[in-house]
Amino acid sequence: MPLVKRSIEPRHLCHTVLPRGIKNELECVTNVSLANVIRQLSSLSKYAEDLFGELFNEAHSFSFRVNSLQERVDRLSISVTQLDPKEEELSLQDITMRKAFRSSTIQDQQLFSRQSLPIPLQETFDLCEQPPPLNILTPYRDDGKEGLKFYTNPSYFFDLWREKMLQDTEDKRKEKRKQKVRGNDRTLETEKVPRAPHDRKKEWQKLALGAELAEDNSEEALKEREANGSATYHDRSGAPMYLEGMDGPFSLAALPYSQMNELLNRPGDRMYTRPHDPPPLPPMHPLGDIKPPSMISSSSGFSDSRPQSPAQMHGFNSNTPPPPPPPLPPPPPPLPSMSSSGPRGTPPPPIPPLPVQQQTPAIPPPPAPLQIAPGVLHPAPPPVAPPLHLSSPARLQQILDKGPPPHQSDGTVLPPPPPPPLPLPGARISSPCPPGPPPVPSFLSGAVGSPASHSSGKKHSASLPPISDARSVLLEAIRKGIQLRKVEEQREQEAAKHARVGNDVATILSRRIAVEYSDSEDESEFDEGDWME
Amino acid sequence: MSIQDDPVQREIHQDWANREYIEVITSSIKKIADFLNSFDMSCRSRLATLNEKLTALERRIEYIEARVSGFEGIHRKVLFT
Repeated sequence: MPLVKRSIEPRHLCHTVLPRGIKNELECVTNVSLANVIRQLSSLSKYAEDLFGELFNEAHSFSFRVNSLQERVDRLSISVTQLDPKEEELSLQDITMRKAFRSSTIQDQQLFSRQSLPIPLQETFDLCEQPPPLNILTPYRDDGKEGLKFYTNPSYFFDLWREKMLQDTEDKRKEKRKQKVRGNDRTLETEKVPRAPHDRKKEWQKLALGAELAEDNSEEALKEREANGSATYHDRSGAPMYLEGMDGPFSLAALPYSQMNELLNRPGDRMYTRPHDPPPLPPMHPLGDIKPPSMISSSSGFSDSRPQSPAQMHGFNSNTPPPPPPPLPPPPPPLPSMSSSGPRGTPPPPIPPLPVQQQTPAIPPPPAPLQIAPGVLHPAPPPVAPPLHLSSPARLQQILDKGPPPHQSDGTVLPPPPPPPLPLPGARISSPCPPGPPPVPSFLSGAVGSPASHSSGKKHSASLPPISDARSVLLEAIRKGIQLRKVEEQREQEAAKHARVGNDVATILSRRIAVEYSDSEDESEFDEGDWME
Repeated sequence: MSIQDDPVQREIHQDWANREYIEVITSSIKKIADFLNSFDMSCRSRLATLNEKLTALERRIEYIEARVSGFEGIHRKVLFT
């Protein structure tokens, strides 16, 4: 049944009490009815005026928008005619250094608050009985809350939700930090190992009598490694292997040695400890099955299962190394630019589905991480979605060979992450420092801080050799960003504690949403995109 | 009884006439109210369609502007209504 928005006043024409002493009652009733009809007409006209007023206001706002659109179109048409194809800047720096395109996202918020109540409904509401005047007790309260809030609080659920969002973002930040720490440790460990197993493998292959024997040897070698706990080799082989074909020996093999220890120590977490390097979740199989759930859950885990977060910490470890997630939902423009800059053989995969779902991000941790990962993590080449079936050691070699090229291109790879993270960090950092920092300044500082905020990966990238001089400025910015980030972390904590939210709530809230989703997806390295109306 | 009938009849006649008159008026009022409701609904739906088109156009224009101007002036705008 529809809600009655406007009800015409005298509902019953003749339901009145007739005065006594009237001779001609019929005429009296007629006259009373006619008078009520007139009153009805007046209320009808009042509501009609109100109705047309609302429609007019909406149409008026549209006319403004249309006019501005018209102006923009005109300007665009002029500028397009002035476009000179020869002036196109084609330098690689430009493509990579340019900020990613972000359309302005206007989100509808506070749709059903007291302020947005239409006037006729407000009048109906005013007709109701007022709540008891508990607010006169407010000056006598110790905790400073309004007295009426205990009786009826229209913003109760909203406040509840806001607190929960705050809490969630903080938790995720902490987890991220922990993961970064662990990621740092792991990357340090893994960095030391890389080349040795590879040589051994080459020796094995040289000794191989045939393809099959070579495979057997590689498998045996892997098993030996497994027994010895040299996980890194497994990682390298496992990750590039894209696991679908290679399950058995590699699924366990994927565990780094340190992780294996942790595994042994924490039986409950066994399911989730895999990840480690291959940031991108190679859809692994079942023992390999553990991996995809862990990877997927790790990426989407925050949103899905919070209580498992400690368990998932391990899962995220793998994700953090690739860290500097181009947090933003790699919108198409940046993607092509990034993909063009990065000579990845693996196409920047199904990133489009990103923004929408949190579970798909597990697979995507897209190109950005891909591009970052190689330099940072190690030659685990962009294990993107494409499940490559690696069965032959030859392919292994190919994959391993891809490692070196990523190193070389690492320098070029780095820039892409900074631009994409820039916008996000601006939002992130501004969210904790709500009212003050207007988006731009925080944005700028966030831009600087973003590279650092995005992870240990960047730190590692800073420490890694292949950074050209052209990137030295970026390096300095990253280092400054690290410091900036610490300061901003403190600020964030303070802000969160003080909860100065006020009614800038809408913006802060939505930023929290962005942060939360970016946090949760950071593991999968994506940004929320589809919070549109 | 005819004399009594006449005035009573006249009264009743008159009353019936009055009531019919009032009934015409009230049914017209109901038609007006009905018309206003349906006008409101249709107007809102058309405005909503317009709104969607405007929003889509605005986004496209932003994108085109970004492509044409080379990303220089693009800041991340997050507007909230």
